[in-house]
Amino acid sequence: MLPPDIWQSWAEFSEIAKGLGETLSMAFLGTLLGAAIALPLSFLGARNINRLNILRLGVRRGYDFIRAFETLILALIFIRAFGLGPLPGILAIAVSEIGTFAKLFSEAIENTSEKPIEGFRASGGSRLQQIRFGLLPQVNPVILSVLLYNFESNVRSGTILGIVGAGGIGFLLSDRISAYKWDEAWSIIFLIIIMVYVIDYLSGILRKRIIGTWEAAK
Amino acid sequence: MTAALILNAVSRHFGNTKAVDSVSLSIQPGQFVGVIGRSGAGKSTMLRLINRLIDPTAGSISFGATDITALKGKALRDWRRDCAMIFQQFNLVDRLDVLTNVLIGRLAEHGFASSMAMRFSDAERTMAIQALDRLDMAPKALQRAGTLSGGQQQRVAIARALVQKLRIMLADEPIASLDPGNATRVMEALRSINSEDGLTVLVNLHTLDTARAYCDRIVAMRFGRVMFDGTAAQLTDDVVRDIYGSDGLAEFNEAVTSTSIKAGAHPAPIPA
Ligand SMILES: Nc1ncnc2c1ncn2[C@@H]1O[C@H](COP(=O)(O)OP(=O)(O)OP(=O)(O)O)[C@@H](O)[C@H]1O
Ligand SMILES: [Mg+2]
Repeated sequence: MLPPDIWQSWAEFSEIAKGLGETLSMAFLGTLLGAAIALPLSFLGARNINRLNILRLGVRRGYDFIRAFETLILALIFIRAFGLGPLPGILAIAVSEIGTFAKLFSEAIENTSEKPIEGFRASGGSRLQQIRFGLLPQVNPVILSVLLYNFESNVRSGTILGIVGAGGIGFLLSDRISAYKWDEAWSIIFLIIIMVYVIDYLSGILRKRIIGTWEAAK
Repeated sequence: MTAALILNAVSRHFGNTKAVDSVSLSIQPGQFVGVIGRSGAGKSTMLRLINRLIDPTAGSISFGATDITALKGKALRDWRRDCAMIFQQFNLVDRLDVLTNVLIGRLAEHGFASSMAMRFSDAERTMAIQALDRLDMAPKALQRAGTLSGGQQQRVAIARALVQKLRIMLADEPIASLDPGNATRVMEALRSINSEDGLTVLVNLHTLDTARAYCDRIVAMRFGRVMFDGTAAQLTDDVVRDIYGSDGLAEFNEAVTSTSIKAGAHPAPIPA
């Protein structure tokens, strides 16, 4: 009953392994792409960086607007635009994460202490240098920990995206289900559970280390 | 090298609060000046005006031939580098190591690219280590700043000021949150900067005995105005009562006993 005895040869199994890897890569690239776009936006939305109220509030409404789109709906739209495969999956994850990341990052930026920034201003640092040396060291651990956490959850939602046709292991799973290959489908589900569990476990350890050092520094 | 610092009828208002009210002072090169006064008297505001962390509402400040109040852009950043400022809360970046926190003092000299990459020359690193060594902090160079004690953090902040090649030292209650031993070490470090490097030191203090022990000149503020300006000997009990008010005096005397420093009781711990 237990996998992988369903798959007799490596050739058969390698397709499944590739699917799992694809889901992981989709989640990874989607998370990274979303974060890369969200980071500059988060600075624009932080009160202590952007003092233009109108622009800041506009950017903040923008976060909420993007956050209103469900990943699954975005995936369906992108599949229409780019066809089946991992690309629409990556884009769907990235876009749906932009709003969340930008909001969380800008809150982290607002929660930093003014003290080191002022200390640096008092010794002649330019505004960019103040941000680089006074602010970023304070927000980096928060950003890293948010990234890991959302990567974790994107591995899970990436599986579902596959089912609607956006590549990865979910795509293989829906293929096996529609072909009534229940033993294979069950084995795939089993492997997905293991993968998600392992990712959660590893990222949990990493996050604890990052946050741990962060708190020790307080 | 250093020049006279002159405040000419400087005021700073916050709404209806006159935090600093028409203060005129002339501080000669190499003086060690202590600023005392009750909480809210305007001591911090005055130092921040000098460093140009805030702008005056009225009046002007000059250093030698330079009009500080007119500086902008790079010239303003250069001035801030020249008058290094240290704070009660140390204002270090907790998550960076001690050496990097000191090297931050060099950044005003760096262009955008080299500062973003945190690239420092060997000469700068040597300078930073020497500054740390002067404050007995070289062994901690690679430790994270957030893990140091308050007194150690304050000494790192002074080392940062040294690598800035400062011309004036501004210190805003640098020992207010330190125990007597550490407070003495920090005050001794300021004294050595003053006497060995010949730099002007302007320090806000909340304990009268510290001011008396270290300062050539004491300036007392009340409600944003200068109430007293003279030597420690001229600061009699009657003057003190005027500065702090009779109710403030009780509270003040308590502050004196809680962090009392006997200068000389500890052998000077700063080899410099
Ligand atoms: N940024 C600000 N906005 C509004 N009011 C301010 C600001 N900074 C200072 N003040 C006010 O100006 C007055 C002087 O403040 P300042 O911090 O200079 O006093 P201080 O003598 O340093 O007091 P302490 O001993 O408590 O540090 C106070 O009434 C304070 O509330
Ligand atoms: Mg103050």
